[in-house]
Amino acid sequence: MSEIVLHSLVVAGSVLLAASVVIALFRIVRGPSILDRMIGTDVVLAAIMCGLGGYMALSDRTDLLPVLIVLAMLGFVGSVSVSRYVSKSDSMTPGAEAGALSEFSASDWHMPRDADEQGAGPGSTSVPRARPGDDVTEVADPTYDAHADSGGEGEGTGPDPGPDDAEHVSDGDGQESNRGS
Amino acid sequence: MVLDIISAVLIFLGAVLSLAAAVGLVRFGDLLSRMHASAKPQVLGLVLVAVAIAIQFPTWATVTTLAIIISFQLVTIPVATHMVGRAGYRTKHLRRSMLYRDELAEAVDRAEAREIAWERQRGTGTDHHDG
Repeated sequence: MSEIVLHSLVVAGSVLLAASVVIALFRIVRGPSILDRMIGTDVVLAAIMCGLGGYMALSDRTDLLPVLIVLAMLGFVGSVSVSRYVSKSDSMTPGAEAGALSEFSASDWHMPRDADEQGAGPGSTSVPRARPGDDVTEVADPTYDAHADSGGEGEGTGPDPGPDDAEHVSDGDGQESNRGS
Repeated sequence: MVLDIISAVLIFLGAVLSLAAAVGLVRFGDLLSRMHASAKPQVLGLVLVAVAIAIQFPTWATVTTLAIIISFQLVTIPVATHMVGRAGYRTKHLRRSMLYRDELAEAVDRAEAREIAWERQRGTGTDHHDG
């Protein structure tokens, strides 16, 4: 009896892990931006780690523990490096955002609001723009008001400028140290 | 045999968390929501599987290695998630209409105002875009 329970649990867990990997691969293929693909890769990696751990637990393979360490480090390094070098000119896959939450349209994605400022940037032509007549979400949205109470909290500093945000970095590192104080 | 079933149940729960993360990855419509969904099996699922391994092999070597793995994961996953979310915010890969509150925008506005004021005080030019 307990053998049947054990085997059914193992088979069901394997099926769930395989299904989660397939669904995460779907997100990797469809994902509009490279960050969505990175999150999908993280989920695939987590499923691989869970499956490897289960294999280790149920079939006496404790020699595979360093593989778990290497996989954990691989996920960390991968997501950090990809998110470090993602830039504003990375375009999304056009039309890939449909099907998730149907009441949102393509203009909700707020792809570069300052695409006009960038002018003839190399990536600005491939950016999917909002449909004409559909770009009123910034105005019509009552929940978002960035300047509502800007004097409320204490002195929060802005985030550390990324490598490709030239409009935030107008000076060197000395200004960064000034800003924090 | 009971320990086998307990560890199998723990592994099954880890698989359920992984499937939940994958379903959330497909169903949620925002980068930040997908990050919220995908963080579950990376930490809790791995903790469950590690507990299953520790139940099966209760030796010092295995348990300490599992503790190293879990602590490494607990340290690095928030860092990686923070980096992804920050990159997504900076490259505007988020839906403003799904946010109730955007405190980072206020902080960025304050920092930019401070930067402009500092540039004017220094007198190196009023346009801070030409740096």
